[in-house]
Amino acid sequence: MSVVNYGTREITCKIVYYGPGRSGKTTNLQHVYSQLPEERKGKMVSLATETDRTLFFDFLPLDLGTISGFATRFQLYTVPGQVYYAATRKLVLQGVDGVVFVADSQSRQLAENIESLQDLHANLADEGLDPRTLPLVMQYNKRDLPPAEISTVQELDETLNFRAVPYFAANAINGGGVFETLRSIASMVLGRLSAPAAKGS
Amino acid sequence: MATGVKKGPEDESGEFADFMADISHEIAKRVESLDPTPKSNPAQKKTTTPVPDAGVIREWDNVADRMIEEMG
Repeated sequence: MSVVNYGTREITCKIVYYGPGRSGKTTNLQHVYSQLPEERKGKMVSLATETDRTLFFDFLPLDLGTISGFATRFQLYTVPGQVYYAATRKLVLQGVDGVVFVADSQSRQLAENIESLQDLHANLADEGLDPRTLPLVMQYNKRDLPPAEISTVQELDETLNFRAVPYFAANAINGGGVFETLRSIASMVLGRLSAPAAKGS
Repeated sequence: MATGVKKGPEDESGEFADFMADISHEIAKRVESLDPTPKSNPAQKKTTTPVPDAGVIREWDNVADRMIEEMG
């Protein structure tokens, strides 16, 4: 859980981008990374297969510098979307503070979106996290594709967003909607920051 | 809350700056509300609860005697 540590004066939050394979999770992180000023650019770790699909996970440490006297870090992760990497997804979800669910807007991918969302809920429950209360934001990606190939935002929202959480249309490959999504989940996570249980913890 | 795809490459340079501004504001609010440092309140005075045995000095010859006394 994210904590404001008054001892070390640090704030660290872990945000995971979840969703089916090829929905654009890595593309989201790549756009964020591309927009970082040089002095803030850490190292984005990305492990991809030969076909550019995420093999394990991506990790982007986002060092925001000192804000209100606190060294602030956001750790952005993606999970591998492919079904057979279930163990990795569970591992990446450990200690998560907020989730961005990146759905593929293509009509033919609707079943994969639903399956991935169910997988997310099951894995959160396994980690002892309540999917009903964990900060969650929906992103409907690939809105730049021809309208005939994609579901409407309303259709996607009615099918996937039963918690009525904030949702964003995006075309991450061009950067559209990426920072709006990140800003929303970051705000939700920060709203749940808690003070440390004991001095110096 | 839906947002359209509205940002083009020409204003992407400001995306991170906008993000930072929002996050900084959010953190400032949160840090202030959670600050465990006690706020000094000059109007509030310390009160001392009187202890029944205050002022009574008891002496024991050794630690064992004191332990027996207190346990009894």
